[in-house]
Amino acid sequence: MTILPVPELRDRVLTAARRARPPGRALPRVPEISAVEAFRRAVGAFVDLMTDLSPADWRTPVLRDLDVQALVGHLTGVEGDLQLALAGDAAVAKADHVASTQPAAARQAGRSPELTSVEWLAAVDATLAAVRDADPDVVVLLHGMRLPLRCLLVVRAFELWTHENDVRQATGRPASVPQPAVLRLMTCLAVRLLPHGVSGVGGAGPLDLHLVLTGTGGGTWDVALGDRSTATVAPEVAIVADAVLFCRLVANRIDPEDLGAHLSGATEHAGVVLAGAAALALD
Amino acid sequence: MHTTAPRVLRRLDRRTPRRTLCRRGSRGGMVRAVGSDDSLLVARLAAGDDRALAEVLDELGPAVHASARQIVGDTATAQDVVQDVFLDLWCHPERYDETLAGLRTYLTLCARHRALDVVRSELRRAGREARHTRELPQPRQPSPGEEVAAADTASAVRAAVRALPPDQRQVVELAYFGGLSYRDVALRVGIAEGTAKSRVRLALAKLGAVLDHELLEPS
Repeated sequence: MTILPVPELRDRVLTAARRARPPGRALPRVPEISAVEAFRRAVGAFVDLMTDLSPADWRTPVLRDLDVQALVGHLTGVEGDLQLALAGDAAVAKADHVASTQPAAARQAGRSPELTSVEWLAAVDATLAAVRDADPDVVVLLHGMRLPLRCLLVVRAFELWTHENDVRQATGRPASVPQPAVLRLMTCLAVRLLPHGVSGVGGAGPLDLHLVLTGTGGGTWDVALGDRSTATVAPEVAIVADAVLFCRLVANRIDPEDLGAHLSGATEHAGVVLAGAAALALD
Repeated sequence: MHTTAPRVLRRLDRRTPRRTLCRRGSRGGMVRAVGSDDSLLVARLAAGDDRALAEVLDELGPAVHASARQIVGDTATAQDVVQDVFLDLWCHPERYDETLAGLRTYLTLCARHRALDVVRSELRRAGREARHTRELPQPRQPSPGEEVAAADTASAVRAAVRALPPDQRQVVELAYFGGLSYRDVALRVGIAEGTAKSRVRLALAKLGAVLDHELLEPS
């Protein structure tokens, strides 16, 4: 490789570039939306899918022992638990995400899909009514999570998109991609939660992560992982991956080796980072 | 804990051979599938990864500089072109169309276009200056008294200029005594045009403390 004729030119160009557009700011810019709006849009996408389902589709096995109808029942149960959490109910704080919603899933048996849909939409409306005047920064405890409401609503949008694609896959429909503004909130949330996921899979050592998520709704982040109390220098791994695929990994719908990630630096640590990302899934 | 099979995780390395292949399109024409490295780099640029910019600059900067220098003829102006080209890539990565050309070709073409713009602009400026000179009225002959006063003023200016720091003195002498434009000063000294301007401004501020500022206004 040849070098630039004047070494200072490299610094000059990079400095001017960073001044013109700060690193991490992804292009094209996507409009900023609230977490409530992200949740509402994810609901809209799920409603669009439901209206397209045939009676046979509703009975298609989709996840665990749930068919599509029971999965919608599960979502109804989640809305109910969220509303309880917003009211300060301590029981749902530690409740298991699947076990707690199983009764709502089970009671869909023998019902018409229309009744299941109406019940879920009523639960969604109740959630939207409950959050309408709520402080978005209020900390909510639900299903083992302790998150500000604005983050929890993005988690809900994430779950709706994930289950929407579960249904799409089960019924032979093409996968969907979140709207860019929603995806941006999802990627930001996933990166924010990533340290918890990595520590949950045993990644205790200090590690610097340079994460680049490509595509609209992506971005670039530098994340400090692991226990930083004693280490002064941490190895760094750089991971470049598609933003939508990364979200599918966070939803635990693809394996790390299917992410097609590009790695550099301390690549031996990439596995625990990606496993930590997949461990964030609620299922 | 999950274990990750590293076999399918690709190492990020610009030196891996670029996959460039041609496949026959459904209508019999040749469809070029551009190698993944360029599209990955541009995707990283769009994601705000400034390390990608540094990588492109390290790898393609010399070629871009050489392309610009062929047209503008000097290193300093070519550097300005290099900066413009990479700044544009960073701020508008979407302008690169991987289906049309590789990144090297795209950037060197951008450099050529930008360099030609610089040359055209310089030619237009020189033409304007030549016309302006032709159209100026011929100065009248000064009186003996005016000549003495002018000599005193010139002496004071020279003394004040001599007291400036060397880098500022150099640009002032070139701009005001040599009659060069800021760009020509920058080219002569081997600095950016903006640097030349700021040095002149600093020098003027210092000279202004001891001399009548109107004396220093360039014509």
